[in-house]
Amino acid sequence: MEPGSVQYLPLSIVAALFAFLFFSGLGARTRQASEYGFGGSYSGRIGIGAAIASNWMSAASFLGLAGMFYLKGYLAMAFVVGWTGGYVLLLVLMATQIRRFGKYTAPDFVAFRYESEAARTLAAIIAIAIAAIYSVAQFRGIALLVSWLFGIAYTPALIIGASLVVGFVVISGTLGVARNQKLQYFVLIIAFILPLMLLTRKLGYFWLLPQFGYGTAISELKQQFGFVWPQPFAGESPFAWFALCFTLMFGTAGLPHVLSRFYMVPGIRDARWGVAWGLFFIALIYWSAPAYAVLARLFEARGSVPFDPASADTVVLSAALHGGLPVWVTGLLVAGGMSAAFSTVTGLMLTGAASFSYDIYPRLIRPNASENDKVYAAKGFFLVLSAVSLALAFRPGGMMIAEIAALAFALAGNTIFPVFLLGIWWGRANAAGAIAGMLAGVIITVAPLVAGGSIPLIASLLPYTSSAFLGAPLVIAIMIAVSLMTSPPSVEIRTFLNRHVHDGAEE
Amino acid sequence: MATSGSSETNIFKPSGATMKRQILVIGMVLAGWLAAIAGSQGLVYLLGHSRQGESISQWTFFNLPIPFWLTGQFLPLWFIILCVIFNIWMDRHDTHGRGAALRFRTRSNDGREE
Repeated sequence: MEPGSVQYLPLSIVAALFAFLFFSGLGARTRQASEYGFGGSYSGRIGIGAAIASNWMSAASFLGLAGMFYLKGYLAMAFVVGWTGGYVLLLVLMATQIRRFGKYTAPDFVAFRYESEAARTLAAIIAIAIAAIYSVAQFRGIALLVSWLFGIAYTPALIIGASLVVGFVVISGTLGVARNQKLQYFVLIIAFILPLMLLTRKLGYFWLLPQFGYGTAISELKQQFGFVWPQPFAGESPFAWFALCFTLMFGTAGLPHVLSRFYMVPGIRDARWGVAWGLFFIALIYWSAPAYAVLARLFEARGSVPFDPASADTVVLSAALHGGLPVWVTGLLVAGGMSAAFSTVTGLMLTGAASFSYDIYPRLIRPNASENDKVYAAKGFFLVLSAVSLALAFRPGGMMIAEIAALAFALAGNTIFPVFLLGIWWGRANAAGAIAGMLAGVIITVAPLVAGGSIPLIASLLPYTSSAFLGAPLVIAIMIAVSLMTSPPSVEIRTFLNRHVHDGAEE
Repeated sequence: MATSGSSETNIFKPSGATMKRQILVIGMVLAGWLAAIAGSQGLVYLLGHSRQGESISQWTFFNLPIPFWLTGQFLPLWFIILCVIFNIWMDRHDTHGRGAALRFRTRSNDGREE
């Protein structure tokens, strides 16, 4: 999107929304447990679901998915299926069991289950890498929105956006502002769906359910402008589609900041029903996102605006602008996107900083560190992580927001997912297997980026956004082989797994 | 307390009636999950390639071309249905198996099961 003028009304709406969320979080800090929907009642489970969905919603969901659909058509459906289907894996294979382990972070889980500090350190480094990569996608989303709001180019917008993120986290942390995720989700969903309803109403489509109403735009594009939406699998092979879809699923079940939701839920049933509600709330966004891409294409065709692949990540915004919506509605949309990206990047940065200050700093760098030292280490590492993500976001290698996010999912799917899966479901998995598996997972994720250009087989079998489709099974096989070749875990941990996690020893 | 042989945790060799029932339902949910993904995409692919270039997008359901509806709308809905079925089964299973499970449960300050 080209630089223009300052958008004062949308800017005020963004500022008002952040002030609203900030002060509601400030007021909620002393009654955080109930406000987060941890009451355990039926409405509490809806609250847990809303918090899961809010935790999940990022710039990739809010902006990136519609952009992928605009640019790559049916391939983007792999994101919809991958990012929703992964929750089925998470629910049936992990949510209940993770809750029973009672550990608070992914490295904590790995250290406890595999009885290994080396495995903990490796898991912490991987968690930090995932946070950094995923944050690059969020910074890109924030920069694109700031660029439109202030009418400036991408690079200064990125610096302003990153400064705002750091300032937001510092002020929130200083004042002890709680993240009111339940409230935030409902703000996000209104900000995303209301403009879509107004757009479809303006076009005379079935606006009450714009998720279905946009189908008329597909017909109109074909009949009036001769534009046929690309056929499924026309631009990509079925392998590419399935590889991306399953990578996103495995990654969903392996993202540390997603897994950590289940450590904090008060009861096992609440954890399970929270996932179901969370999936419903997430699906509301994904049912709607393709509509923005189709409507943007329609408005471009009507206004003879040339197709611009470079603007794909802001297609949600351009649909609202070309559709002639009131400025305040566009402001609401931008505010929702900013809120989603800020919330996610804050959570990721804090997860990364906690991994460093708790799992690495006192164990490897300063063994006798006090609690105060750990707090300073977390703050310092937060700034380092922000700087690294900012530097990477300057030139994201031509990748779109959703593609950068998919790379983070590939890393999670190749490393954390197999370690959790076997850690929960196979008592014989041991530390050597976990370490070998995580190292192999890192190599598999990095291989297409490093060697994909010179070895075409790697690029075709392990695309960088989709490497976990083959990578995760390979890592599982490596973990099984290495575990069987080395000593089994202790009797204590196997007994814990069998009796406390699975109720398996009742006979 | 040794956990060797048949009592060791192994998803393919569940020990105890509770775990066997649980793994059976997990297997059924995952089969429904995989069959829906592979089946829907197989159908979309075969229809698209068996009609000699004629667009399957001409067929619509709920206003949307069939591939869009099947993949973008139905599959997420199907995943939600699978989650609900699994949760209902697990809630009933928890009630039936509570005698076995409670031996290893603790309760938090507000009395909730952990």
